[in-house]
Amino acid sequence: MDFAEPANWGRIRSDAEAFVAEHVTREVIENERRTGDGVERALTRKLGERGWVAPTWPVEEGGAGLDPFEAAVLLGALRKGGVPTIGPGTTMLPANAIKATGSDELKARILPSVAAGETLICLGYTEPAGGSDVFACATRSEQDGDEWIVNGQKIFTTFAHVADYCFLLTRSQVGSVGTRGLTMLLVPLNSPGIEIRAVHTMGHERTNVVFYNDVRVADTNRIGEAHQGFSVMRSALEAEQNVAPGSRTQWIARDTLEFARTQPGPDGAPLINDDLVRERLARMAMEAEVADLLGLRVAFLDSEGEKPGPVSALFGPESYVRASAAAIDIAGLSGLLDWTDPEAPVDGGLDFHYRSAVATTIYGGSSEVLRSLIVENRLGLPRSRPRR
Amino acid sequence: MDLRLSDEQRAVRATFAALFRKESTPQRVRIAESTGLDKDLWRTYSAIEALSIGIPSDYGGSDGSLLELALVAEEAGRCLAPIPVAETAAAARLLARLGEKELLAPVLNGSSIVSLATRIAPVGDQLLVDGAIADAVLALDGKALLYVTRPDGQPTIPRRNLGGLALARWDVDTTGRSLAEGAQARTEFAAALDEVRVLRAAALVGLALEAVHIGSEYTKVRKAFGQPIGMYQAVAHPFADSLSALDGAQLLVHKACWALEGGQDDGPALATMAFVFAAETAYQATQHSLHVHGGYGFTEEYDIQLYYRRAKAWAVAFADPQRELLVLADRRFGPALTGGH
Repeated sequence: MDFAEPANWGRIRSDAEAFVAEHVTREVIENERRTGDGVERALTRKLGERGWVAPTWPVEEGGAGLDPFEAAVLLGALRKGGVPTIGPGTTMLPANAIKATGSDELKARILPSVAAGETLICLGYTEPAGGSDVFACATRSEQDGDEWIVNGQKIFTTFAHVADYCFLLTRSQVGSVGTRGLTMLLVPLNSPGIEIRAVHTMGHERTNVVFYNDVRVADTNRIGEAHQGFSVMRSALEAEQNVAPGSRTQWIARDTLEFARTQPGPDGAPLINDDLVRERLARMAMEAEVADLLGLRVAFLDSEGEKPGPVSALFGPESYVRASAAAIDIAGLSGLLDWTDPEAPVDGGLDFHYRSAVATTIYGGSSEVLRSLIVENRLGLPRSRPRR
Repeated sequence: MDLRLSDEQRAVRATFAALFRKESTPQRVRIAESTGLDKDLWRTYSAIEALSIGIPSDYGGSDGSLLELALVAEEAGRCLAPIPVAETAAAARLLARLGEKELLAPVLNGSSIVSLATRIAPVGDQLLVDGAIADAVLALDGKALLYVTRPDGQPTIPRRNLGGLALARWDVDTTGRSLAEGAQARTEFAAALDEVRVLRAAALVGLALEAVHIGSEYTKVRKAFGQPIGMYQAVAHPFADSLSALDGAQLLVHKACWALEGGQDDGPALATMAFVFAAETAYQATQHSLHVHGGYGFTEEYDIQLYYRRAKAWAVAFADPQRELLVLADRRFGPALTGGH
């Protein structure tokens, strides 16, 4: 066993840091905090020029030819530096599904511009009534010659307002239920009949409700076979569950440590000298190490073709939520100040983490769904959700 | 970067898994509760040269690393093996580092059990983890690292206790033989304690994985309100948290072994993390696994109570896990500048 970082990771990280130093101005960071768009078009094109939108794809396909570890190192460094990565990162889930199951024509039309950072694709799975039960999908699609007509409503379609396409889950067979009778469509978001309304989150992200009213979509934008959308979805969903959103636990552990080293406690001495604080900081550091190791193993097993179940996707966000709550307790009133306040310690980071953490236990598959998958796959426990 | 076990390491794991499955049955674990040692198992364990694994070949060992010992400890934990694994392995490696070939020879052939007095205090002032079965202990007392042999007439029956440990006190006032002094004594003893942290963590991971197996299997066959209780998410989901944490604890153990073996700066901090995280996870895993058995879980005839009791006993045999977080803080953040809280 060898936990040593390969030498090229350091090189990838410093390349990313150089990119950040050149392109990520304070204005970029503040703009993202104000808008919550999750993507910056010009910056995404610059990522594309380096093959960093699709880093694991071969260079000749517009990628950077990185292995899953190297890609995780790259994206971690970019995100840490303030590059809005939600847009390009999310785009890669449907892009990989298109790569696996799309027609040759669709692949040739879409994938090169995805890799170049020109084309952004958002995810249209969740519906107001569905939540974690994505296969309760009620958005209808009906074939009409060489087109599909789409009617329905999706929610939590993050960055729909700046994306080019939506990777849309639709119910194409009347009367079908659950995973049967679904069709995946790549819907151009400038199509007539689409209405996008903003939803703002307490974590300063912007997401959207998207209405589809008699939207016409060319059959050439169908991904995979008609009525077989489940198998297309499954490959994209598995990718989401297996790639934990990195360890944000390490991020907050470092922010809280910096806070404790620089801020006085109730007795005027730096917080870091208080055993009650030290114990909690140590626990954060320990859970952050676990979250990082579980994430590293996902990338490792991915490269070995094994799947350990979504244990990393469960532990990482859950530990982030625990740490974000402990950090606020430690920090007291000055930890409540947000980043717009010039006195806010660690750039308002603790307020930011507490606002952001909860959503991470939901959006890549809620913790409860992940727990069910883990006990079913690893322990062979009976399925608890009703079958349709 | 390579997170795979080597073929040799897999073979070590398989060998000991088979040994403990055969020779450390729940029945034999129960019998050994009053003696603190299954002598037949100890003989087999010694005969296959388990104690030589982590010892350099110059000293009669097989040049294995701490990681192989951790794999053995994990398998021992899985079957609650009633033999001393962690402190004896750390003590043997400590003797090798100190160049004590003569003291090491009887340890490696199993004729002498040498353990550690893990509290930094006079040997006579502590309950010794292997006190009822050890022939000698290594201890740090004041400035010296001492080899203290069991005085005549000391108890060979353990004090009755929660976890089937071979607990006993030695009435000794002799200082024993000094093997090292000053900074060397402190450094080498501290290194041995870090190995105990890692090996106890590994044993707790094995113990907890088996407890989750026992508990989850029970929920597949036990029915209530017309269906297996494993279908109820309140029953099933805590197993998912345990498995996630146990995967993490196992990775911490492996990384700590790698870091300690390579003399990395972060090795001691990782060893502390492994111990704390494994201890807390093992308690939670065994607590839930016992709980899902309902009333049966706390009857003596069910095996799960053996796991539940040891989950705590095997951890505090070394230290209070919560207090160890302060050790971790010192190691990661540097010592507190004032007297603490």
